[in-house]
Amino acid sequence: MLLIECPWCGPRDEAEFACGGEAHIARPAEPAALSDAEWADYLFMRKNPKGLHRERWCHTLGCRRWFNVERSTITHEITRIYAMGEAAPANENEGEA
Amino acid sequence: MPNRMPEPAGLLLDRSETVEFSFEGRTYAGYKGDTVASALLANGVGVLSRSFKYHRPRGPLTMCGQDSNTLVQIGHVPNRLADQTTVAPGMTVRAQNYWGSLENDRLALLGLLHRFMPVGFYYKAFHKPRALWPLWEKVIRRLTGLGTIAPDAPHGYFDKAYLFPDVLVVGGGPAGLAAAIQAADAGGEVLLVDENRALGGALNYARFDADGALADQRKAMLLRELQARPNIQVMSDTLCNGWYADNWLALVRGNRLYKVRARALVLATGSYEQPLIFHNNDLPGVMLGSAVQRLIKLYGVRPGSRAVVATANSDGYGVALDLAQAGVEVACIVDLRADPPADELTAAAARRHLPVLVGATVWEAEPEGRNMGVRAARIARITGEGTCAASADSFACDLIAMSVGYTPAAPLVYQARGRVRYDEESAMFALAELPAHIFAAGSLSGAFNLDAALEEGYRAGWQAAGDAGFGFGPEPACVNPKDAVGRTHPWPIFRHPKGKDFVDFDEDLQVHDLENALTEGYEHIELLKRFTTNGMGPSQGRHASVPAVRLVSKATGAAMDETGNTTSRPPVGQVKIGHLAGRAFEPVRYTAMHFRHLELGAKMMPAGLWLRPEYYGAAPTRSEAIRAEVKSVRENVGLIDVSTLGGLEVRGPDAAEFMNRMYTFAYLKQPVARARYVMMVDIGGVIVDDGIACRWHDDHFYVTATTSGADAVYRTMLWYNAQWRLNVDVTNVTAAYAAVNIAGPQSRAVLEPLCEGVDLSKEAFPYMGVREGHVAGIPALFLRVGFVGELGYEVHVPASYGEALWDALMAAGQSHGMRPFGVEAQRLLRLEKGHIIVSQDTDGLTTPHEADMAWAIAGKKPFYVGMRSVSLQAEGRLTRKLVGFEITDRAAPQPKECHLVIRGDEITGRVTSVAFSEALEKVIGLAYVASDQADEGSTIEIKVDGGERVPAAVVKLPFYDPDGARQEM
Amino acid sequence: MSRYSIFSLIRHARTGHRDWPRAWRSPEPKPAYDVVIVGGGGHGLATAYYLAKEHGIANVAVLEKGWLGGGNTGRNTTVIRSNYLWDSSAALYEKSLQLFEGLSQELNFNVMLSQRGLVGLAHTQHDLREIARRVNAIRLNGIDSELLTPAQIKELVPIINISPTVRYPVIGGSIQRRGGVARHDAVAWGLARGADMRGVDIIENCAVTGIRREGGRVTGLETTRGAIATGKVGIAVAGHSSVLAAMAGFRLPIESHPLQALVSEPIKPIIDTVVMSGTVHVYVSQSDRGELVMGAGIDVFNSYAQRGSLPVIESMLAAAVELFPIFSRLKMMRKWGGIVDVCPDASPIIGLTPVDGLYLNCGWGTGGFKSTPGSGWVFAHTIATGAPHPLNAAFSLERFHSGALIDEHGAAAVAH
Repeated sequence: MLLIECPWCGPRDEAEFACGGEAHIARPAEPAALSDAEWADYLFMRKNPKGLHRERWCHTLGCRRWFNVERSTITHEITRIYAMGEAAPANENEGEA
Repeated sequence: MPNRMPEPAGLLLDRSETVEFSFEGRTYAGYKGDTVASALLANGVGVLSRSFKYHRPRGPLTMCGQDSNTLVQIGHVPNRLADQTTVAPGMTVRAQNYWGSLENDRLALLGLLHRFMPVGFYYKAFHKPRALWPLWEKVIRRLTGLGTIAPDAPHGYFDKAYLFPDVLVVGGGPAGLAAAIQAADAGGEVLLVDENRALGGALNYARFDADGALADQRKAMLLRELQARPNIQVMSDTLCNGWYADNWLALVRGNRLYKVRARALVLATGSYEQPLIFHNNDLPGVMLGSAVQRLIKLYGVRPGSRAVVATANSDGYGVALDLAQAGVEVACIVDLRADPPADELTAAAARRHLPVLVGATVWEAEPEGRNMGVRAARIARITGEGTCAASADSFACDLIAMSVGYTPAAPLVYQARGRVRYDEESAMFALAELPAHIFAAGSLSGAFNLDAALEEGYRAGWQAAGDAGFGFGPEPACVNPKDAVGRTHPWPIFRHPKGKDFVDFDEDLQVHDLENALTEGYEHIELLKRFTTNGMGPSQGRHASVPAVRLVSKATGAAMDETGNTTSRPPVGQVKIGHLAGRAFEPVRYTAMHFRHLELGAKMMPAGLWLRPEYYGAAPTRSEAIRAEVKSVRENVGLIDVSTLGGLEVRGPDAAEFMNRMYTFAYLKQPVARARYVMMVDIGGVIVDDGIACRWHDDHFYVTATTSGADAVYRTMLWYNAQWRLNVDVTNVTAAYAAVNIAGPQSRAVLEPLCEGVDLSKEAFPYMGVREGHVAGIPALFLRVGFVGELGYEVHVPASYGEALWDALMAAGQSHGMRPFGVEAQRLLRLEKGHIIVSQDTDGLTTPHEADMAWAIAGKKPFYVGMRSVSLQAEGRLTRKLVGFEITDRAAPQPKECHLVIRGDEITGRVTSVAFSEALEKVIGLAYVASDQADEGSTIEIKVDGGERVPAAVVKLPFYDPDGARQEM
Repeated sequence: MSRYSIFSLIRHARTGHRDWPRAWRSPEPKPAYDVVIVGGGGHGLATAYYLAKEHGIANVAVLEKGWLGGGNTGRNTTVIRSNYLWDSSAALYEKSLQLFEGLSQELNFNVMLSQRGLVGLAHTQHDLREIARRVNAIRLNGIDSELLTPAQIKELVPIINISPTVRYPVIGGSIQRRGGVARHDAVAWGLARGADMRGVDIIENCAVTGIRREGGRVTGLETTRGAIATGKVGIAVAGHSSVLAAMAGFRLPIESHPLQALVSEPIKPIIDTVVMSGTVHVYVSQSDRGELVMGAGIDVFNSYAQRGSLPVIESMLAAAVELFPIFSRLKMMRKWGGIVDVCPDASPIIGLTPVDGLYLNCGWGTGGFKSTPGSGWVFAHTIATGAPHPLNAAFSLERFHSGALIDEHGAAAVAH
């Protein structure tokens, strides 16, 4: 069970959190202007990397806030936790996909 | 107890108490502290079970719970470890897996058929003709499986606890004790766990010096130090059963599962002694050297009368010395090494004139009648790797002890993703790399020398404490040699032409079984394991795994390291399903009025986590009860508890903008003190929730959500606003409010006398209005909404007043004939009004257009979640549509929910809701149909149980009171 | 090549079974193949087998980065059934079930198909409605399925607790009598042996490191055992589909999640059917060895680690023990995790990709094992002809653009 450092509540068990999936998916500024393929891409296509992954977690059983987590999908090791809206950290060990 | 040694042997025994128990129907006596296996051996009973495949007699191998030879049935629990389970008065123990009697197992005949039952034989036969396999399967199923369980065996009491030590030390042997002591000196909380009853590990049974005094001295010192440190919590009889991410570990003690989060972890789990592989090495009376020592020291049991000790290290000489001291004649020490180096123990053996043969091995064990024990060991000179000279000498004996090497007890290391490498020099797998926050010591990391193990323990304790934030003093030094080299024989496998040279005792696998599988191409160690089932029995490959790697490596020419080891996953050992299940905390939510419902005889049903009244009354009268409840709402007044509806407060200057983005309708211009329908779609344009939004102020909305959707809606709102950063605050107040809906023509009359500060008149408080005020003195929100299609008010009050509100309304309603109504009546009432229930009348793909909910979509908004998808749907062709239907033919069978709408051979849709409406005197329902069937007046056919197709007419919704006159009165 | 039968077993007994031929060869990769299948699990092997058998294309290589069947093929709960909701899913899984029914004989390898029946439980009125909907729909598709009362369930599964007072009482259910289990490894080995006999090269320890393309067409693969030229590549690497797609320059609507299962110690037979419950996330059967095989729900986060967390197992077993109190005293013996591909509509993708000559088979979620032969059969057709078979036409990657999704949430016992 992961130990996740909630930015507001401190380290807590994974069981207190909900995972919201891939982070940094930019919402299209003008959805109406997109082609069907571009819209589908936004809706459904995911990086699903093997390696470092940036995802969103919500401390549902605590402060109920969302934040970003950088985590390895191979070892599950969490390498960074940062606020919503913050840019994705640069990291050379980017996942494969 | 003919084989019982005199005191002081028997560390774990309390000889003041004799315990009687039965085994196979006969009564035996042991001492308190005896295990089933030790007590039986003390009484001369050496056969405890029959093997899985060939039904060969088996006796204890390890005496520490690491083999499955001692699995027995105790009471209604199968597969208990006889060498770990202590005897209790009156205990009923039975052997497993035989047909007839343990001594005379008729299924032992299977052993004679072994020639036709090579590994994987079942893949090669029984499949033709096709009808044959199901019959064979029945036979095979009956033959396999160990132990039986009574069909009515109860769950019993199991529970869970949580611990948060700074340093967790697993293993209470010399290294673990030293680690705990050192870590405790640094400060911080230390937890020391050991799976045995007594701390000390090998110090309790092994011999480290000629006169066998060193172990006791060291143990006394360590235990004294341990006791002097109050920040060490000791848990013995506790198995550390699994490692999970971030040093989260599962411990099992008694009927409790402990879940531990440790900052740092010291592993001092020791090593597993490995058997020697020779002909008949599975006979009762053949056991590990450490098992012999455990029997003598821990249980005071003389394990035989004449022994042969096969060894490849000095530990075997210690075993021989212990045997001699226990009064067992040592017929011979057979040393596999051609030129064993002299040391303290070999010298002591020589001083006692124990006969030694070097460069030789036990080549065969000669069985005592029907394989029930050992009669002699045939010893042959080793001529090469796994080969012996043709001639062998027979040594009469009834015990063969094996001390030929070790493998680290590394399951937790594997689970934590540590790396293990084969070390050619010591012929053992050795730890190569440990993950962060994990440290190892003792024979697990190759320190077999007692002083080296202690040093490593102190150092690991120091490292772990530092890692956990308790740095203290200089790093303890390690100067003694580890002595791992020369402990383990590189090829303890002596393939015999007659077989019965067992690699895996659990699965009755012999050397040629593995070799043949390799020839067939199952060369990858994992393929070999799966094809032969090597290591897949209850002892989890503790003894079978390394020899298999050796055999694969030899056959393929790949190095031991390339061949690799099979993986280890939790659990490490014995954990019952009951441990993991625990007391099954599945939360149930009660509304504030829950007990009032029970008093009124409600039949409760689950709704998400909540329980809600399905209807009020006894089960046989279900339909009458529901009918009466409906009638009461339509004609008089009814009261339903709607506390389970989600409640969300949205406040802030951007509240209206936020609502506008979250929901499909328009909210910017929603007037204050008015309610408006809300429908939420996901980004793919699928309906996910609905409810009502009340606007209390320009910057304050109160929104309801469905019972099961409330938490997800709340989470979704926060998720989006984390991106939008609108100036709003969203709070989930579901549990803060209790709510009822009082509905029916008389509802105003019931409510009015109780109200203060709110004018219920039609003019002052119109349909879809919302007001604040008091009811029966309770501060309340009033929502005039019409889900059930009658004049009605939802009244929301602080949850603590829920019961008071209920009581006040019930009392006030009495003179109006008010009845409480449940979810079922409400379902029918809303159906008459044509309202959908999200997730009953929608599924995971339903779009607003399909559900005929396009009216709830604002045409001119710049954005809402899912808008792009909804617009695409609006442009595209509808393939199905939700419509109302009615069946006027009273003789036709009534369709049920989920009956299909059929046209020709094609399924065009299904019924989602259906009921007989008393008010309308016909069957009405909602159904998905093909879009070209959706026009009013079309006829659809519904296939009902039995296959009949019932025609139904598509009609306009709502069915009841189409102008809404009743709810707006 | 020696045929497997009771007679050959007796014959080989004379030589102590030392001279059985290899089940499949271990060839060096050739420089070029007509078709290369990436992934030596059940789906990849079945694809190669049916390419050779049904389409006469035998110049085929199956590349496996580890050992045959080492992915989800060897990590599932071995359940087979075809009671899916939507026509397109039901038809595909039914095809698979029919192929399973003749597989042991066809392959001359006993895959131990055991059609012991599969019971689905309903615990809430909502469950009951969903089950009824499915039973009605799939019966119309010609697939066997019946609704059951709690008493009928008790008769089929005597150890089940149907007390109405538990947290999630059993209020009804359904059965597919042709559903059941098969030995998962044997399916992979039998298919491997069958494909090998027809000339397919099965190459283990060979990882793909790159996908060569020219002008939007596949031209070959780079592997840890050298480059291989081919005009057609079929990908069947459940769990790692996104990684392979990235090599070819596109993304997938897929996320990889851990899915866990466990077995108990072996005991004498106590349960003769497969039982599954969606609401409490349990499925359970008893293997021929006597072990109870149980599956849990998926872990919530993306992972390629083949391991999940304990709480998922705890909640599953809590529910299992409520249904089957007698499980309580049994020991868990092994527990493991697989990596499943999960699509937003819980349905697979089998078909063409944006790259010509590159075909994709993925997204099976928890349904992979039961679809093995059917999936291979339609995928072989798709690769051989360059166009999907009618059975897999609906399962295109394109559906995510057109919006024609197939919602099979609720089809698996566990939530996706």
